[in-house]
Amino acid sequence: MFETIFDFLVRLLSSGLGNLAAYLAAHVLLCLLPAFYIAGAMTALIPKETITRYLGRNTPKIISYPASAAAGFLLAVCSCTVIPLFAGIYKKGAGLGPAITFLFVAPAVNILALSYTGTVIGMDLAIARLVLSIAFGIGIGIIMALIFHKADAAHDQATDSMFAGQASMRRSTVVFLLLLVALLIVGTFQIELLKQTYFAMELPISSLDRFQNWLFQMVPFDASRGEEGVTAQGAFLIVMLVLIGITSWKGIENIFEGFNIWTWVSIVLVGLTLFFASLGISPAAGSLTLHFTGKSIGVLLIIILLGWMLKTQLTEDETRDFLWESWRFIKQIFPLLVVGVFVVGMIRELIQPEWIQALAGSNTVFGNFIGVVFGVFMYFPTLVEVPIAQMFLSLGMHRGPLLAYLISDPELSLQSILITAPIIGRLKAWVYVAWVTLFSTLAGLLYGAWVDGTSLGVVSLYLLAILALLMLSLWWGNYRNGAKTRTVRL
Amino acid sequence: MLTIKILGSGCPNCKRLEQLTVKVVEQLDIEAEVIKVTDPTKYADYGIMSTPGLVINEKTVSAGRIPSIAEITTFVTSALATG
Repeated sequence: MFETIFDFLVRLLSSGLGNLAAYLAAHVLLCLLPAFYIAGAMTALIPKETITRYLGRNTPKIISYPASAAAGFLLAVCSCTVIPLFAGIYKKGAGLGPAITFLFVAPAVNILALSYTGTVIGMDLAIARLVLSIAFGIGIGIIMALIFHKADAAHDQATDSMFAGQASMRRSTVVFLLLLVALLIVGTFQIELLKQTYFAMELPISSLDRFQNWLFQMVPFDASRGEEGVTAQGAFLIVMLVLIGITSWKGIENIFEGFNIWTWVSIVLVGLTLFFASLGISPAAGSLTLHFTGKSIGVLLIIILLGWMLKTQLTEDETRDFLWESWRFIKQIFPLLVVGVFVVGMIRELIQPEWIQALAGSNTVFGNFIGVVFGVFMYFPTLVEVPIAQMFLSLGMHRGPLLAYLISDPELSLQSILITAPIIGRLKAWVYVAWVTLFSTLAGLLYGAWVDGTSLGVVSLYLLAILALLMLSLWWGNYRNGAKTRTVRL
Repeated sequence: MLTIKILGSGCPNCKRLEQLTVKVVEQLDIEAEVIKVTDPTKYADYGIMSTPGLVINEKTVSAGRIPSIAEITTFVTSALATG
């Protein structure tokens, strides 16, 4: 029979809530929270000069292309960094090619998106995203440099002192950053060493099991779709998140005017939350068992080390910049993510799996192309593309087109094209769009082929063949351009 | 009079820097013109590789981060001293 409007709305809302609950589950928190702080540390503590010194005009191409890919990965987490760096590399540095590589790699492999993709959809997709984005980023840079060779040669004659800096990172800051990465890995990697419970503690706290059952009833979930309900642990973590939000607001929002007690409270709360999220919790009638897994021991150790380093090894400026940048990312991204996940949960009720399967259910050129088109035309806030991708996956999209969507979504939005065009000109911008479309489709096809069973060897061979073709054209293009110049001199 | 330029195109850090700079100018009670530069093609001219950037009387004093109020005050007062 037909649903009433009311029933329909209730179904939508509960689907939205269920989706949200799944995303606030412990394992996502353990990935997202450290990732925000890693992003903050990368932005605050890595001086641009560590990488950009390899991007001067006289740097050989074999160094400047990988360096701009590295810059994209390490230096640019938000578009406000990408645009100036891109403009700088293009106008004052090594030119169009490496600048385009940087432009392509930066949004594709940003640390937040990668770790979130890995946790929610799978490490294989995250790694594929990383490897293929870098490979094709360098490829697209080379092609653009080839096509627009003449325009590129008419360079700005200013010196590239911008790229001659000598800054390096202090050992403490490198260690701090590596510890943050270790925290992320220990919190999310699913290996036996970390999953095993080394000892358990039983606490005489009763009726949490009844609370949990009540939660399972209130916020429905569909286990067959891989959803997890909100457990008692999850509910507690949500409360902790809200507290972190409040104390961070009071302690970090005005940190340029000084630290206060709330600054430290929020840091301690983050540490506690991460540790609590890493424990295994089993409520039973009359007791609560805490499982200390390898993961929780590792997380505890790293948190203590990080706290000690923050207090003693980092300068006040570094601490302030680090906390500010991390908080900025959380403020910018997290609320939109929550709303986005909720909306995605609702939309999922409306889309029929048959539509998705018909369009992108298998690894065809058309399927991958659809993935890219969707990525281009749908603009979503950062990170929301991951829950959307997961929704498509659960509705039947093949992993190949999924990767195509994930790569192209951050790259090509109307907004990013509008920003790039003034810097390099409209023709170049649209040529760039065309190549990104082509390469995202290719990347999806390659990865999809691997998923379907083509061996890694064969797929790598295809990838190498494509790159070799690019290299050959670069060599041939240079040779031809050299010949032209020689002829003119005659 | 000081000409203070804030280089940045609307990202929250750039807005924050503008906020803090205006505060310092008010606190010190000096004559200064605060201009926002939002054209990315101009950043490279000031040697800025990442925003926000702070330029006082055409001299770039800070790039890629938000200096604290104390630091901004130092920049402004030394710019005043050198005329």
